[in-house]
Amino acid sequence: MVLVLAIGDLHIPHRAADLPLKFKSMLVPGKIQHILCTGNLCIKEVHEYLKSLCPDLHITRGEYDEDARYPENKTLTIGQFKLGLCHGHQIVPWGDLDSLAMLQRQLDVDILVTGHTHQFKAYKHEGGVVINPGSATGAYSSITYDVNPSFVLMDIDGLRVVVYVYELIDGEVKVDKIDFKKTAATQSAH
Amino acid sequence: MVMKKKSVPEWLNSPLWYSKPPDDRPISHYNTKTLRPDSSPPPPPSPPPSPPPPSPPPSPPPLSKSPSLPALLGSERSDLPSGEPSPCRPWLEEEPRDSELLVDFRITVRVTLHVVAAPSEQLLLGYFPLDHTLWALELEKKMKQYNKLKDDLLLNPSEITRRMEASAATKTEELANENIGLLSRSEIKHEDHPLSLSKTSVWNQYFQEAEILEQIDRDVKRTHPEMDFFCGDSPIAKTNQEALRRILIIFTKLNPSIKYVQGMHEVVAPLFYVFRNDLDGTNATFAEADTFFCFAELLNIFRDNFCKQLDNSVVGIQSKMEKLSQLLKRHDEELWRHLEVITKVIYLQVSPQLYAFRWISILLMREFNLTECLHIWDVLLSDPEGPQETLLRICCAMLILVRRRLLAGDFIANLKLLQNFPNTNISHILHIANKLRGPTVD
Repeated sequence: MVLVLAIGDLHIPHRAADLPLKFKSMLVPGKIQHILCTGNLCIKEVHEYLKSLCPDLHITRGEYDEDARYPENKTLTIGQFKLGLCHGHQIVPWGDLDSLAMLQRQLDVDILVTGHTHQFKAYKHEGGVVINPGSATGAYSSITYDVNPSFVLMDIDGLRVVVYVYELIDGEVKVDKIDFKKTAATQSAH
Repeated sequence: MVMKKKSVPEWLNSPLWYSKPPDDRPISHYNTKTLRPDSSPPPPPSPPPSPPPPSPPPSPPPLSKSPSLPALLGSERSDLPSGEPSPCRPWLEEEPRDSELLVDFRITVRVTLHVVAAPSEQLLLGYFPLDHTLWALELEKKMKQYNKLKDDLLLNPSEITRRMEASAATKTEELANENIGLLSRSEIKHEDHPLSLSKTSVWNQYFQEAEILEQIDRDVKRTHPEMDFFCGDSPIAKTNQEALRRILIIFTKLNPSIKYVQGMHEVVAPLFYVFRNDLDGTNATFAEADTFFCFAELLNIFRDNFCKQLDNSVVGIQSKMEKLSQLLKRHDEELWRHLEVITKVIYLQVSPQLYAFRWISILLMREFNLTECLHIWDVLLSDPEGPQETLLRICCAMLILVRRRLLAGDFIANLKLLQNFPNTNISHILHIANKLRGPTVD
């Protein structure tokens, strides 16, 4: 039972001052085992904050990140799943599912976590699952101003993943969940 | 209930024991059933005790002090000759002999390996009905109960939520069919998500208990480092540790009032060891379940020692230590004065708080090795005066035994001595403890 937080596109301090209070009160250290951050934090303080939530932090570089040392892509294995991480501004057209699928095949991962569009999305195709946690602060994106703050928490348990989506709609936190299993079929012949 | 007396068993007549004629003591301080005595100590196992009404099994989890506690296997007790001169503590000058084991069994953990099989312990802890034939059935029943407890309590929240859904709708069919497309979102019931801060959330409870579980983990790893049975890298040690862990976790969850106190692992360890190494192979498989229930019973007796709120109350551990002090004063005023008055350092005296806390709360597990401890526990639990009183008497006896060294030492030396109690002959201690019997201190 591994809890993995997928979060990103905070754009602190340029486009947003801080995470919404309700999100902050929920994100306490000690519960989460890994954090996958899509990028665009943008400053070191946010990095420190995320680090305090969980020591195992993975970040990829977004176009506005001030730390240039983050990698473009990252892959890691958690339990039975291979996860990939990428900010997404490199994939053109932005948010296009077919192109993201290409990246997924390239990285050879079961779950790909990307951002940049600031819209939550969870999509399944033959190669695997693409998850976009959206923007945790609700910062405006290059595409739209209308953004709900959101992030994603994945509970990886054996061959099953439960994805909890946390969204702030009209000032209230709304939590949904998505269930999927990794079956032999989804494992394409690699 | 009719108390049938058995004639003095063979082993009691051996020269090791007092040869005075046995004195019959009225048995019950507890209104329980009495039985034909079961002589479980060595040599050949006596015929099984006659069937009395079986004591109701401690279910559901023995939270309340079960009145069904002891099924008294009443018997005789060889009493000490009353004509012994009391002052000058003559027993010290006597040759140490095997203590007069109280053949008055009520509840007891059995004495080590050279004794008959585990059934005696389970009997004594009121765990088994007294009818021999029902034992197998009881074992099965307890095993089932334990498994159910394991199932209910040892799950992590993911599994719990999965089960709750499985009982709800079956959406798995849809998932399999969906090959491509946006994944459908479903509502969460009862606000139960991993980051939930609500009290009813399964996840929240899980994280709150995580600290206690960590503590249990750490303690289990440290149990009895000198024994291969528990410690080390062998698979056996690992499975044993796992079993101990499970037992402690389930107990903690079932007893939120006392939770887990450091030291409980010391109490479980010998129980598990004994049950596991049972001579009669069949019982060994039920070891874990049995240990759990017996452990719960045992802790029930000493429950007050572990409850933090009761610490300073009349029944709590502080008062026990007070009683110990009074007991010592009553029996050995010189020693008491030396410890509490003369060797004071500023306002610190060698009071029981400093050394006896561990003795009392962990039932002397840490002071002696495993076999000796089991011996003590046997006596503890089979004494008609009650385990609490007996424990205090044994502690007092321990003090009196080393009195020469204590009287010669100062604060620091005494404290060191008492906190690392020297190896002594257990029988001697028990012998003295027996002699300290008397009207209870008020």
